[in-house]
Amino acid sequence: MGHEPHSIDWQAAQWLGRMSRPVLDSDAAAAFDRWILENPRHVESYARMAAMWQSEGLGLALAEPGGAPRPSNDDFDGDGDEPAAPRTWRPRVLQAGAALCLLLFACVLGPRLLVEEAEFATGHGQIRTVTLGDGSTIRMDGETRIAARITPWSRHVALKRGEAFFDVAHERLRGFTVDAGGASVSVLGTAFDIDRMDARTRVIQVYRGLVSVDAGAGRQWRLPAGSGLELSGERVRSLRGVEGDRPGWTQGWFEANDTPVAQLVQRLNRASPRKVVLADPALGELLVTGRFQTGDAQGVLDAVAAIHDLHWRRTADRYVLER
Amino acid sequence: MLASNHGLLHDGGPQRHDWDAIRTALKRYLRGRGARHDVAEDVAQETLARLLELSRSQQIGSVFALAFRIADNALVDMSRRNGRLAAEMEDDVRSEEPSLNRILDSRRAMEVFDRCLRRMPALRREVLVRRRVEQESCRAIGEALDMSTKAVEKHITRGMTDLRRALDQAGIDLAGED
Repeated sequence: MGHEPHSIDWQAAQWLGRMSRPVLDSDAAAAFDRWILENPRHVESYARMAAMWQSEGLGLALAEPGGAPRPSNDDFDGDGDEPAAPRTWRPRVLQAGAALCLLLFACVLGPRLLVEEAEFATGHGQIRTVTLGDGSTIRMDGETRIAARITPWSRHVALKRGEAFFDVAHERLRGFTVDAGGASVSVLGTAFDIDRMDARTRVIQVYRGLVSVDAGAGRQWRLPAGSGLELSGERVRSLRGVEGDRPGWTQGWFEANDTPVAQLVQRLNRASPRKVVLADPALGELLVTGRFQTGDAQGVLDAVAAIHDLHWRRTADRYVLER
Repeated sequence: MLASNHGLLHDGGPQRHDWDAIRTALKRYLRGRGARHDVAEDVAQETLARLLELSRSQQIGSVFALAFRIADNALVDMSRRNGRLAAEMEDDVRSEEPSLNRILDSRRAMEVFDRCLRRMPALRREVLVRRRVEQESCRAIGEALDMSTKAVEKHITRGMTDLRRALDQAGIDLAGED
């Protein structure tokens, strides 16, 4: 049945091939719409063809012909004792899935883009609020850079550096994902804060709703309002007592909660006219708890010095914290 | 504000679409992809709302291509979400990419795919692997395998229909897991 050049399955397969090309001209777009409307069996055949072509099952069968690899949803009989082999091709298949989405993407858009894309950055000591096309707002701390991409079917923001507080407009259809490099946070509608402390450390705090955090390698967490997570390489620390409806820094405060001094210093340095440095990096590991006014570096240094019996001095262009 | 194309209306003004027909086709599409009845209703409704909103300010090339794209993404999001909600808080969950269609990812379906692929001419199988797994363009595949782009496309169409037929013959029906 499917082989006659004019059978519905044949046409569906042809359309699926055409739709995954980078460019779909307006004639083809109109022809596709006509074909779909022509006969209810067309859309059914197309849907089945698309489901089959994009299925992970087919991807795996193609990636490993003859190997009869184990499927991922095989009734949970693989309690962690899966053979090592399937792992090696899985990423390749997943990657392929992502690329497939990109291809489809391009064809739908055509010449008139339905995509909003923008980058925002703040300088030293600057705080800025941006509103995205979907109504979500992002409050950016100093020295922060983000890139937003909003499509009719997705909302994605990359936090490239710094810290930002996200107040996400609730939508049932489109998820909202923030990629903080090494940790990605997905939500529907909620308010949360992500801080890229340094190359390895990401701090996520949730003020409203529920978010899922994915740190890759199968590490996933679900964080309800009032909780948070500090990821630093392999180390994970869960944070409690996230209070209020937004992080303190948006009003110039930093809430430390058994927080390493290094984080506090890093925060001060986003706004302080004089850079704060540690005479000994080990000082950065000391923990502090309390509410600090980040606009007042000297006051914060006084407090930290008092807590840990340290000293600080002022040089021409910096503050040095030392024993 | 974001650099957006809102307001850049086409000269012809807003396009006219037959929303009832689109809703019906969307539901059929979602059912055909294996979505449960209530999920298909929900996603179709939400997709339609978004399309309506978009069509007020933008020119849409193929309304069905866009509708199916939005619906596909909503299905992925939904299954990802459900997968996560099933996992317990504080639990270091082992994640896998969500499965959109458990039937098609089942061991049985994979055996059917596998058998069908092995019966195919090696060249066709090669074309399918390059297209689906390596994501090469038809033109690139043609250049690598020394054939025309048209011939590549034909191999893919033929391969797809073979695979579909193999599923049918094995009695694997993916529509409507209810």
